Amino acid sequence: MASKEEVFLEKVSSKFEVEGKIQRERRIWLSTDKVNLIPLCTWLKGEGFIHLSALSVTDWLEEGKYEVTYHLWSYEDRILVTVKTKIDRENPVIDSVVSLWDANAQAHEREMHELFGIKFEGNPNLTPLFLENWEGPPPFRKDFNWREYVKEKYYHKDDDTERVYYD
Amino acid sequence: MPSEKAIKMNRIIKAIWVFNWFNSCGFTELIPVVGSRWDMERFGMIITPTPRHADVLFIAGYQTWKSLERAKRVYEQMAEPRVVLGLGACTMSGGMYWDSYNTVKRLSDYLPVTMYIPGCPPRPEAVFEACVKIFQHVKELK
Repeated sequence: MASKEEVFLEKVSSKFEVEGKIQRERRIWLSTDKVNLIPLCTWLKGEGFIHLSALSVTDWLEEGKYEVTYHLWSYEDRILVTVKTKIDRENPVIDSVVSLWDANAQAHEREMHELFGIKFEGNPNLTPLFLENWEGPPPFRKDFNWREYVKEKYYHKDDDTERVYYD
Repeated sequence: MPSEKAIKMNRIIKAIWVFNWFNSCGFTELIPVVGSRWDMERFGMIITPTPRHADVLFIAGYQTWKSLERAKRVYEQMAEPRVVLGLGACTMSGGMYWDSYNTVKRLSDYLPVTMYIPGCPPRPEAVFEACVKIFQHVKELK
């Protein structure tokens, strides 16, 4: 007898172009393209995945891509589905899922916007969440050299006690 | 034998009212001072919920850019004469967050810090020594 994970994967593969993988019991990974994201998420929500437990971003520097990850939980099936989408790093634009998960997605997208500079199209409020008066680049980008930034912003080379940071 | 004036000052000096402004681990480090083991009230320190009644602003832990703006507003609401105490290594040099992009490294660059209490965390005795110094400071004012 097929497990509930296999049944679910079969169902989602027949409807969408996804690369699915059963990670382990109750954990499924789905990789998809940017264009399929919103239809897939809409369908998933209809299937009972009403809880967006986290939205995270991975910076693949060598590849030049951001990977946006949505963790979705279904209370009925008791499965955690992880939807992954890769987008261009230099021009990071992706459709917002606020229309689906509402306030649940709002804060996450706002945070990812400030930390990675990703533009979520359709999100009404992407003002900074933690960083006020921030002038540097998005700080969680891997090519952001924060040690250099800190030296420039906070320390003085002519101060005796702080010269150690420059040696 | 203390002078007559000093005795008089000792009699009329009031308790110092403290407003706590804590970030990160700040408050947990000061809990022993507040609790029954050391009991700050017997040394004449009282915690007040509003900065408008406070003589002393206790700043503990690192400040982020966001909290620093709020700390400045708290400071502005306090009546003169006012004292700012920076508690712990983080307020002095950034502590273990010396290379963090979003925390203030030296508090005295942004607020007029009267006294730093070093340590990570400072011992309660160090806090009381600061308290004694404030009393001395008040006496020297007159």
